[in-house]
Amino acid sequence: MTAAAVPAQRWDFEAIGTSWRIDSATPLGEEDRAAVSAVIDAFDREWSRFRADSVVCGLASGGSVPAPADAGDLLGVYAALDDATAGAVNPLVGDALARRGYDADYSLRDRGPQAAPVDWRTVLDAAGGRLTLRRPALIDIGAAGKGRLVDLVLAVLRPRVTGWLVVDASGDLAVRGIRQRIALEHPFDATRAIGIWSIADAALCASAVNRRAWGDGLHHVLDARTGQPVRSYAATWAVAADAMTADAVATALFFDGGPRFAADRDASWVRMRTDGTVEWSPDCEAELFS
Amino acid sequence: MIRTTAVPRPLRVTAAAASVAGLALLAGCAGTSEAGDAAAGADQASPAATPAAGGNTGAAGAGGAYADGSYTAEGSYQTPEGPETITVTLTIASDAVTDVEVVGEPTRRESKQYQAEFIGGIDELVVGKSLDDIEVDRVAGSSLTSGGFNAAVEEIRADAAA
Repeated sequence: MTAAAVPAQRWDFEAIGTSWRIDSATPLGEEDRAAVSAVIDAFDREWSRFRADSVVCGLASGGSVPAPADAGDLLGVYAALDDATAGAVNPLVGDALARRGYDADYSLRDRGPQAAPVDWRTVLDAAGGRLTLRRPALIDIGAAGKGRLVDLVLAVLRPRVTGWLVVDASGDLAVRGIRQRIALEHPFDATRAIGIWSIADAALCASAVNRRAWGDGLHHVLDARTGQPVRSYAATWAVAADAMTADAVATALFFDGGPRFAADRDASWVRMRTDGTVEWSPDCEAELFS
Repeated sequence: MIRTTAVPRPLRVTAAAASVAGLALLAGCAGTSEAGDAAAGADQASPAATPAAGGNTGAAGAGGAYADGSYTAEGSYQTPEGPETITVTLTIASDAVTDVEVVGEPTRRESKQYQAEFIGGIDELVVGKSLDDIEVDRVAGSSLTSGGFNAAVEEIRADAAA
């Protein structure tokens, strides 16, 4: 069964700076849509470094606040990512991103590289129901946050919708009860695909450096150790049971430790180096064009 | 035993020429016991990535025709606990690799883990197909840019051009 065989009910909207598309077997009612909007808005108010009234912006000068519901899980994923990538992924990379121009104003003015705090685990924690930041820093959950939000939206809709459901937040998507053929966008030519990945009851997250790119080779995937954009890989795709995991794997795959991180989570993957060559995991079922 | 089989893919000879050359070097090791060391005996815990990496080193002449069939090479690599072996089988048809199978016989738990983690795919230059020519339900690439981001990029470009 494919989406084409079923008259999909489709809902398109913009949120957290990207395009969302939700397809479902039955149409979403006003209350369903309101519930989705509420979940997204709550998450954005907690974690967005692009809005001044968010929890992470309020915490940027340091302090302690009641921990957002996802804080423990997100920091846990970051700890694992930190281990897997030898420090290349760091939840306090927000200042480094802002310095390269990827700031709340989208200034895109590069003020040079800056490493994220190596000791972030002693600076930031979510213990005792509080999110505590012991010195000024800007939290950025870009490595796994969008995947988490896809999972949250899916969780809200599952009990509300009868039948299949697809939540697609532009590059991070989760599929339930249906098979979807997903094109893997060529990072150097968005009109082409390097392959097709067919998934059902799983999540697929993609990350690439072709968009959200500016200036002289600058893009949004920075090595937190140096504040420099990653150079080895141009695009990554990961399939896992949930979108937060797939998102984290897609991030890890920009670094050498990615394959092991993926294997530990039963995730399969494809990644393209900046020279155009492609690697994939042993269990990968994507069909690649070459 | 771990058996990992890459899903057969339509590899095109033109795009894969460099890799076929590299793989031919590996195939040349076939049948020579332990000679696969050169191909698969890297000191890494990612043995299958090694024949894959050969894709960029091929020096054989272009257009060379390779006999169809399966080519197997065995290699060993060192782990902290001792040597492990791995067997790589490539199937070549019409000068293109149609299948890759890697069989590890890990004798230690750690090795089993390593062999499950290696990169299973061959490095290939991907050509891609037009999105108009393939039947898909959706596209997964980088995050689509937001209006704000796009506007900023346009502004920067305008400034730079001024």
